[in-house]
Amino acid sequence: MKELDNLVQAGRIHRTVYTDERIFSVEQQKVFSETWVYLAHASEIKEPNSFVARKMGLRSVIVTRDKENKIHALLNRCTHRGATVCREKKGDKTPFFTCPYHGWTFRNTGECAAIPHQDAYGENLDKQTFNLKKVPFVSEYRGFVFATLNSEKGKKGIKDHLKSAANRIDEWIDHNGGDHRAIRISGAQQYTVHANWKCLYDNAGDGYHPEFSHQSLLQMTQQRYGAGMDLDYFSGGIDSTPMYSQSLGNGHSFLDQRPCMYENSAFERQRPQPGREAIVEQLTNEVGETKAKAFFEMATGAGMNINIFPNLLFIGNQMQVITPLSVGLSDMTWYSTAVDNVPELVNTLRIRTQEDFTAFGEPDDTANFEACFKGMQEREVDWIDISRHLGRKEDSVGEGGTVTSVISSDIHMRTYYEEWKKLMQSKDNSPLS
Amino acid sequence: MTDTNSSIRHQDSTYLNDAYYDQLMHLNKDWQQDGPVPVINQPKLEDKQACEALAFAEARLADDLRLEQWLDCYHDKSIYWIPANYPAGDPRQEITLEFHDKRRLEDRVARIRTGVAYSMLPVIRTRHVLGNIEYWQGEVNEVCARASFIIDALFNDKHRTLSGWVGYSFVKKGGDWKISVKQINLIDADCLQENNTFFL
Repeated sequence: MKELDNLVQAGRIHRTVYTDERIFSVEQQKVFSETWVYLAHASEIKEPNSFVARKMGLRSVIVTRDKENKIHALLNRCTHRGATVCREKKGDKTPFFTCPYHGWTFRNTGECAAIPHQDAYGENLDKQTFNLKKVPFVSEYRGFVFATLNSEKGKKGIKDHLKSAANRIDEWIDHNGGDHRAIRISGAQQYTVHANWKCLYDNAGDGYHPEFSHQSLLQMTQQRYGAGMDLDYFSGGIDSTPMYSQSLGNGHSFLDQRPCMYENSAFERQRPQPGREAIVEQLTNEVGETKAKAFFEMATGAGMNINIFPNLLFIGNQMQVITPLSVGLSDMTWYSTAVDNVPELVNTLRIRTQEDFTAFGEPDDTANFEACFKGMQEREVDWIDISRHLGRKEDSVGEGGTVTSVISSDIHMRTYYEEWKKLMQSKDNSPLS
Repeated sequence: MTDTNSSIRHQDSTYLNDAYYDQLMHLNKDWQQDGPVPVINQPKLEDKQACEALAFAEARLADDLRLEQWLDCYHDKSIYWIPANYPAGDPRQEITLEFHDKRRLEDRVARIRTGVAYSMLPVIRTRHVLGNIEYWQGEVNEVCARASFIIDALFNDKHRTLSGWVGYSFVKKGGDWKISVKQINLIDADCLQENNTFFL
């Protein structure tokens, strides 16, 4: 797509990058196939023979764990007539999937196990030619399962692709208790957004908007709980705070709110969750003040926005997964996380905390994403501006090629669009294409 | 609180402890019981009438965005609960779409009242319809109920319909009945949701 050289420029993006059906169609191949796409967390398919149904871009994929504990991403399309083989969202004790139409049966490795009345296909039928197609490369980093159709990236594995983002994920896991306290998914909140998927992704590293988009949250909190609370450090001269934004390579990016949010106690900044007082009292009695305080911080958001291009965002203690449904419709799912090996009260407090932003912050964000997409339909105004702090001399290059800028910089959008354009203009490199 | 002049300052909220969660799980099961309510378990007619009037008023006040009066329908120690699963699981272990004690419910109203809650601009108009209401006697001074609901919502000139069933626990406080627990079970609780920042 040569035309993208004109449509994606250093400090601005043409509106049709968001609105053009043809570009959306190419994205399904180039972005949602030929780079690593997040599919699921290992805790969702903890037991052998369990599965979850997911989307990889527009593709319907069954993510399975076979009896040998190997994870597969099977294309959920019967190789016989095309019917959806698996029609459940999740399950366990499922070594086989049987297509409801003619009873063709497949192992959870994708292998074709049985074709009813097979003799009518002749003696020499090789069932293996009817195996479910698979996304050829599946790779896990510390419980996060990704897949790609790209041979070159697939062979190198996910860690190579994550680059410096892997270190940030490590820090996020450390906030949540480290290896001896594995996280698990504790449900999901799922929303549609009537906008192109990139309108959502744009915002993931936008340190400029909270002071404006989140006025309802900020004003309500100030009125009811006074100053020094959640997100109020985003007001005023934010670029002179120690918070920063960073490009991590391969389109990934990072916003660090910790220098402000965790300057003292992040838990004390948190709007009071339902049941807070009772849990604080009980937990302090049970484990003592020092240990309890550490648990309270763990129950509060990590203060890290880690954005793994193109579809996985770490926000607080949640993971937001973005899935395009059509050029103007997106699935925004927030996965809640809980922690193993802690008193269950910690998780109750943590889950109540995770319900906060989706009630008080995200609805106003969504309203603005949808308003942007509406505005992008106007043919007379061409450009989306991403030039904030473009060419800032003080931006510093660090280990692994990371670039660090101030918190309100548009570096997040510039870095992911660089990767997006590279992918969109790359040659096909998929064994399935 | 030292700030006695302002009614919007929050109060401490101490009632949601493990025992209260246990009580919620008990209600969660009770609302899903089989068969018609035996006559012997039905509440006194006057209590039933009072609770029905309250359920209808609560729905109407939400529709009319008379949110301060709407909050008054709720007991000081109440829970407003929209599960993210169907049927609902234990909210101690799984996230919900919304789960508020009275304090966080007041936060929700205060956010809308700032006038800069962009998810409610333009204002979302709603109409609740409640039907198939079944009542039974709960604990002393408690009436339980379940009902089907349909909500028609108008936002940005477009209609959409939400539906499901709602479980209630009403309690008598002084001479008045109040909502102690309202659990809203959307039939698509575990599917993609639209802008639901009004009150269900």
